[in-house]
Amino acid sequence: MTAIPQKEMVTGSIRYQPGEEVPNVGTKLFALRNQCTECNACEVACALVHSQDGMVNPQMARLRIDHAPEKSSRTNPLGIGFVAEICHHCGNPPPCADVCPTDAFYYDPVTRAAVIEQDNCIQCMECVPGCPFDVVFVAPKGELLKCDLCGGDPVCVKACATRPEMVNEGKQYVRLPVLFFEAQQEFNRLSKQIPEAQDEIGLMQAMLERGEISSSA
Amino acid sequence: MIKVHTQFLSHFKELAATDEDVFELDRPLVSELATRICDRYGPRMQAVLIDPDTQELNARGTMFVDAKGRRICMADPLEDGDVITFMMGIAGG
Amino acid sequence: MESRLLRVNLTTGEMKGETIPHSIFERWIGGSGVNNWIMWEHFLTHDINCDPRGPDNIFVFGVGPLAGTGAGSGIKGRITFKSPCYNMFGDSAGGGKFPYYARFSGYEYIAITGKAPKPVYLLICNGEVALIDAAHLWGKGTEDTHAILQEELGDYPSKVHTLSISQAGENQVGIAGVVSDALRIHARGGGGAVLGSKNLKAIAVQGNGGLPVARPGEMLAWSDDFRKKIDGNEAIYGFKRRGTLGAVEMYQHIGSHFWRNNQGNKFRGDEIRSDNWVKKFQKYSEVCSSDCFIACDSKYVIDGTESEPSKKYIGETFRRPEYLTTGSAAGALDVRDWSEVAHWGKITNDYAIDNQDLSCSISFLMELKQRDLISNHDVAELFGHEQSLRWGNMDDIEACVESIVFQKNLFGVMFRDGPYFGALKYSEMKGKNFMKYAMYGKGGASFTEEVRPYPTWMNNMAVASRGADHLKGIGLIEKFQREDLSKMYFNGRTEAADLTIPDLKGACTALAENQVALLNSYGVCLFHWMLDPAEFTPQDYYGKAYAAVTGIERTPEELMRDGERICNLEKAFNSRVGMRREHDMVCERWMWEPNSEGLYEGAVGADMFNTVLDEYYEWRGWEKESGLQTRARLEELGMEDVADVLAKDGALALT
Repeated sequence: MTAIPQKEMVTGSIRYQPGEEVPNVGTKLFALRNQCTECNACEVACALVHSQDGMVNPQMARLRIDHAPEKSSRTNPLGIGFVAEICHHCGNPPPCADVCPTDAFYYDPVTRAAVIEQDNCIQCMECVPGCPFDVVFVAPKGELLKCDLCGGDPVCVKACATRPEMVNEGKQYVRLPVLFFEAQQEFNRLSKQIPEAQDEIGLMQAMLERGEISSSA
Repeated sequence: MIKVHTQFLSHFKELAATDEDVFELDRPLVSELATRICDRYGPRMQAVLIDPDTQELNARGTMFVDAKGRRICMADPLEDGDVITFMMGIAGG
Repeated sequence: MESRLLRVNLTTGEMKGETIPHSIFERWIGGSGVNNWIMWEHFLTHDINCDPRGPDNIFVFGVGPLAGTGAGSGIKGRITFKSPCYNMFGDSAGGGKFPYYARFSGYEYIAITGKAPKPVYLLICNGEVALIDAAHLWGKGTEDTHAILQEELGDYPSKVHTLSISQAGENQVGIAGVVSDALRIHARGGGGAVLGSKNLKAIAVQGNGGLPVARPGEMLAWSDDFRKKIDGNEAIYGFKRRGTLGAVEMYQHIGSHFWRNNQGNKFRGDEIRSDNWVKKFQKYSEVCSSDCFIACDSKYVIDGTESEPSKKYIGETFRRPEYLTTGSAAGALDVRDWSEVAHWGKITNDYAIDNQDLSCSISFLMELKQRDLISNHDVAELFGHEQSLRWGNMDDIEACVESIVFQKNLFGVMFRDGPYFGALKYSEMKGKNFMKYAMYGKGGASFTEEVRPYPTWMNNMAVASRGADHLKGIGLIEKFQREDLSKMYFNGRTEAADLTIPDLKGACTALAENQVALLNSYGVCLFHWMLDPAEFTPQDYYGKAYAAVTGIERTPEELMRDGERICNLEKAFNSRVGMRREHDMVCERWMWEPNSEGLYEGAVGADMFNTVLDEYYEWRGWEKESGLQTRARLEELGMEDVADVLAKDGALALT
């Protein structure tokens, strides 16, 4: 089965030698839980932006919207909602790259996101369980799909139906969008200002929910 | 000087934080009223009230009418005691 | 541009996939246009005067080319069939997840004929198809049916999405619809009854295939531009917050509600007349269909603190009511509590039944009761027991709903095809003429908004191809008095925006019908266009997206002709089943009774009705006397073949 060609949205390619220090991703994606409307616009946009063969297929997107009826939160006590499963861009090198036997990962020089080099990937799928958050996806024909941050202008954030409207300058959020593209510090500041932002699907939160750490840890 | 009453419905009520208001106008014109409304309620109200391309009243998704239900435009004259209503223009569903 | 069509003959169990060639898209755009053509071709070899509930009727599902390709305009599937309730052309659009996933399942179009010997459902998964026994689903509502299918079919290769009918469809109730994912209904025309008559309980799709996009880069740029325009429009943001409920306060102010079977034009009750409810009880977000940049829908959960009646519905959750859910409950039936309105929305959806037909049927009877035209004894005769039939009483309303859904009693049987046929039958049974109180146009139930002050809307109710219907030609120019649009489309003339004169109103109907036909064929929602009709024009703005996705290049003028061609095929269908000018009419109340409240009080339909209708035929190029199409206009539109069929059936104008 031939792989579907993928257009990686990167500004360039840097490879690091083993042991060499890799700078972490600065501005990255955040997702708020239970604000999502399941409009799938992010999936379609992601599939469209990475499409090279004139096909659009949300199953080729590097993020997924999942129904999360079991997840409840302060804003949503009954736990009816959806979550955007996004790449958290862990500290570099990320666990998915760490386990790669063929060293198929390279880094975007601007965003410092780890990106899969499809030509070097042997589709061994090690990175799938390697990812603590299940956000390295397998395409219908077996390619491994990981978020590349669109070279610093993630299209999913732009497409999100809950995005802040443009007349709203200076990001004075009236209601919060599901997807943020911010530096960690800026996101922390926002989440202090707006209580809903504390419902972020953060690293700790995700690990808690998956039972990988306990709340007393 | 004339007094014009305004009614704000649904989204406009939210933007103005009130469902009605009174404006005292020096010039008896809709354009004068529009300016005063924008001054009082700020840029979000202005964004929905005035079309930046034409400087006319914004017609997209809105309905601004006088007491007889006629759509008003910037050049229309106003009289003392007139009531102008600002609504969302939606039908069906 | 090519698409896959699945043909299913339920009588023989034969299923065959075929490719819909590029040339069909060249002529019929996609979505509803292609559906219409598939049905038209079917009735060239089958009797068009067949019983719509019989095996010869066809049920076509299709989804247009812009759906799911980043067009950001929602995704609307379309079902097309010969309508069992109105016995003419029938189709209906619906959102939800089904049409989106149908596109990835391998078949974007499905044509179903025949009748299965026992209840079955159809499964489509990545191009593989199967008919599966549905005995365990029969007798269930759409919510349960969807849940069972999701459970039983699993999550691989994608989540399961369904199109299903309820008990109403099984009982072949003419006003029964089909529901997508138990959330969004294809209500109009009785698609549910067609599937019920074919013993097909549901269609389930799964798949992870892709969609062809001719020029992805161009589509992405269009998508970006569209999003920016939407985001730059504060009014659209307002719409995003409320959806169509934003119309409640507007209609209350101008007097355009359909109160108590349209005896009045304003809601009564303090809470119900404002949309504060949205802020108070709109708790969670969810959206109507996929790939939409506006996302106007949301979800409610009732916790019992909202009002006294809400205590009955603690824990109930569903989509926030739309305007027409509200218009039918708070308007037609005078329900005065928001939680009850929401509950009405939920039950009509779960029973998959058209709430416009339903409410007009119930309000017809309630008005007869209110006017003492029928006695308690007459009511007991209809229901088999006493029924108080008080306005706004949910117990009475639910009893009426269940009567129809389960065909429980004489009332249910009599009104299974909506208010027009129900009122006819009841008048005949009683030997009295009650038609004055039935609200309809062209045999179809009225939509629950006032139309008398709006000549285009009135005209639209009379001529729509599937009976009184706002969604076949939304008259934006006149209702919102848009002089700019009037000038844009009619060479600088402004009369179309003036409510008080008949000029250009028929022309506006024709124009809007063509535009709506285009949007329905693209497979997108109408609301993006409605919110900014000067900018998001179907023929120009959307035309660019259509070209990027399909590679079919069209000028705006050509696309308008494509829209006109689609409308003409629907008209031709109705001419073949015998509809003429005399069928293009509306009910007595709209014609002769002035409306009683609001800014446009005193409007009488008859004042302009015939002038506008004449003008509509003129702009369409149809014969005024008979209302029939002319060969000349059909040939101009490249529809010689259609003209030939009409001529053979004696359904073409003689001139």
